[in-house]
Amino acid sequence: MNPISRRQMLIRASAAGVGLAGLPAFLAACGGDDSKSSGSSSGTSTKFTMQAAWVNDAEFTGYFVALTNGYYTDQGLDLNYQSGGPDVIPESTLLAGTSPLALTTPDSTIQAIVNDNAPFVIVGAQYQKNPLGVVSLKKNPINSPADLVGKTLAVPPSNTVSVEAMLSISGVNKADVNIVPYEYDPTPLVKGEIDASVDFTTNVPFTIQQAGEEATSFLMYDYGFTIFNDTVVVTKDALKNNRAEIVKWLRASRMGWDENFKDPSKYPPMFTDTYFKGTGRTIENELYFNNAQMPLIKSDGGIYSMSEEAIAANLEALGAIGIKGTRDMFDTTLLEEI
Amino acid sequence: MKNFSRFARGTGVVLIVLAIWEVLGRLELIGQGALPAPTQILAQLWKDRSDYPPHLSVTLKSAGTGFVIGNIIAIVAGAISARFRIAETLLRGLGMSLFAVPLIAIVPVLLLAFTGTTPRIILAAMAVYFPTYIATMNGMRNVDPRLVDVVMVAGGSTTDVLRWIRVRSALPHIVSAFRVAAPAALLGTLLAEFGGGTRWGLGTYLLGSLGQANPSRLWSIGLVATAVAASAYMLFALLGSRLTRSSMSATVQTSLPMGGATGPWWKRLGGGVISAGVVLGLWALVLSILDMSPVVAKSPFAIVRYLTTDPRASVSRSRLFDAYSETLPLALIGLLCGLAAALLLAVILSLRPALGRAVLPFALVSQTMPLPALTPLIVLVFGRSILATVVVCVSVTFFPSFVTISQALATTSSAAIDVVRVSGGGRFKSLRFVGLPGAIPAMVTAARLAAPRALLGVMIAEYLATGDGLGNLLNESRGRLDYGMIWTVATTSVLVAVIITQLFGLAEKLTRK
Repeated sequence: MNPISRRQMLIRASAAGVGLAGLPAFLAACGGDDSKSSGSSSGTSTKFTMQAAWVNDAEFTGYFVALTNGYYTDQGLDLNYQSGGPDVIPESTLLAGTSPLALTTPDSTIQAIVNDNAPFVIVGAQYQKNPLGVVSLKKNPINSPADLVGKTLAVPPSNTVSVEAMLSISGVNKADVNIVPYEYDPTPLVKGEIDASVDFTTNVPFTIQQAGEEATSFLMYDYGFTIFNDTVVVTKDALKNNRAEIVKWLRASRMGWDENFKDPSKYPPMFTDTYFKGTGRTIENELYFNNAQMPLIKSDGGIYSMSEEAIAANLEALGAIGIKGTRDMFDTTLLEEI
Repeated sequence: MKNFSRFARGTGVVLIVLAIWEVLGRLELIGQGALPAPTQILAQLWKDRSDYPPHLSVTLKSAGTGFVIGNIIAIVAGAISARFRIAETLLRGLGMSLFAVPLIAIVPVLLLAFTGTTPRIILAAMAVYFPTYIATMNGMRNVDPRLVDVVMVAGGSTTDVLRWIRVRSALPHIVSAFRVAAPAALLGTLLAEFGGGTRWGLGTYLLGSLGQANPSRLWSIGLVATAVAASAYMLFALLGSRLTRSSMSATVQTSLPMGGATGPWWKRLGGGVISAGVVLGLWALVLSILDMSPVVAKSPFAIVRYLTTDPRASVSRSRLFDAYSETLPLALIGLLCGLAAALLLAVILSLRPALGRAVLPFALVSQTMPLPALTPLIVLVFGRSILATVVVCVSVTFFPSFVTISQALATTSSAAIDVVRVSGGGRFKSLRFVGLPGAIPAMVTAARLAAPRALLGVMIAEYLATGDGLGNLLNESRGRLDYGMIWTVATTSVLVAVIITQLFGLAEKLTRK
């Protein structure tokens, strides 16, 4: 089962806390904060907080590598890494001022800019391709949207619009696909009650494997739903006042990811007793995840790169589901300074 | 000797149940392995043993801190309310809101406002407030007037009365309220941990384990959480019995003054309006202290605007309405099923006390088992269906209702029973003509006490498993960064729960007449 499992929505929540400002001291004292910060801070290092998009798993390996190897410290940053969770909205920490930088989903971020004038700027993208895809069993494979005709596809309610966009871009009539709600549980797929489900291709095939079946999948990205994921978002204020720190963070994090992908099987086991301790997930799962995500994160332009074509593709895909973003919501100049 | 045979029989029942469970689990007879055998669960627990200490210590620290803070506030508020009627009136809205609030609706709001473990501490404190407040107020108020006279005649002041009589009188009540409050604090903490924010905590561990297709892990976390809640319960039960040197009833009456507003209708209405004003005032005050961005934090006025003048108001209203029309009927069905099950067990207990005693330990476990840990297990066994939602609902409403109803059956007027007996009626007749009619008001009382729990149960099931109704609306709104809706769900769910409680309170008054 996998109820509110991660990626319940393509729009996912994250970001632990918001707004400590002025809260009664006694609560703050009781509250404590267990986020990890990198090693010891030398006299010159600046405290810098980032809000992750979910609880600790392989999705954030690059940051753990950078923390462990002291890349942030070398840049003069004392990184305060805040884990996320289902009720934690990453963008909220930006609005509340508790974190100057958060990992988000581009659709929720751009929607917030459009609808609420939220002062957000996207300065990088961890996933060049969103890991969301159509997962099926090898013995009954669905290899493209066309294969879905006449089949039953389980879709998380919040992703229905994206899936319909993908189908119409691929020339498939949505009436020909039986779309049922997906509750993040691979069991119906394994039992053959449904033919395919929409989930994270980097993660759920492992669980299916554990249940004794082989999975196959394709990315929605490859069939028209061309969006990033884990976009690096900062506030306009932070961009003005903390630009140097943000660039340092991007540099150190890129080093962490590059180091991680030299051998994607090296680091997850090293975090068994640190970042991945007690998460309830197995190291084998993280190894699968880390290997599966490599092609989705790596980019010719370097980690986090946002090419003009990719930005245009994002805007077009989001436009197809009614989110009208513009080019000026992305700022690629910080990446140039790395 | 009699005690020993009773104990032996109890142990025997537990062993038989464990043996049946073992067979069911080993043969994967339930839900295709959704119910692992006890030995498999223990093996998993042993395998994961190094995971538990860091998670447990964070959970215990949060729950413990919340327990202490919530109880201090509750005792102070209870003492003031016992002394000044006006304070009771002012605090009634707050108490009712905290009694009725579906805690899960508050989690996203707390996570917007606080970081780290603070949301967990606050939720734990909120969960313990009501039982302790009521116990303190009743304990301090209901003292033997003759004792007060003695102190006064001996030249004592009101302070002496407070010190020598009221505090002493309240102490056993407060300690027995702690028995209810301790599992409640754990429930609050686990719910908030589910929301995320920091790495450690039993709820966080459960969250990470959900997608792993490993039922034994889910069961072992559930059992550990239950063991913690049950030990806290027993600790305070032990303390309570030492304090009073006598045994106490199974639960505390946490309910008495809820329907107790007296006086002409305009006075009660005025009191209600004022106490609701206190709640709204506190809300506005906290927001202004926190100084949060108005995009994230919504004042009462902002919510009214969100539902009325905002350009998207009609869409929001209809989404909210749709969610309630899915959630409320299920909560009602679950509540009725829970009451029916409670009545059934209470009747069986009154007819065949031995049989009832055998079932009782399991009923006690169901009371202390924390809901967020219980729900995934129910979903494992019953699937993601309406049935699972109803079962969750029954499991949270059943025990408190059972206690209320069986107390009513037990206290059936013995004179009336004698009349039945003398005219040749047996146990069944006396139950039919005296017990059951007498239990009807108790059923209504039980419904009033259990209704907020039913709503919470349905929302948790929707949130974790079925993806319907209010629980799902919270999920969706978070994804859409719809802060207005997050606050609206929190506010309206408190309001709806309070209204439902009040309606049952009204029905209670009518049936008692």
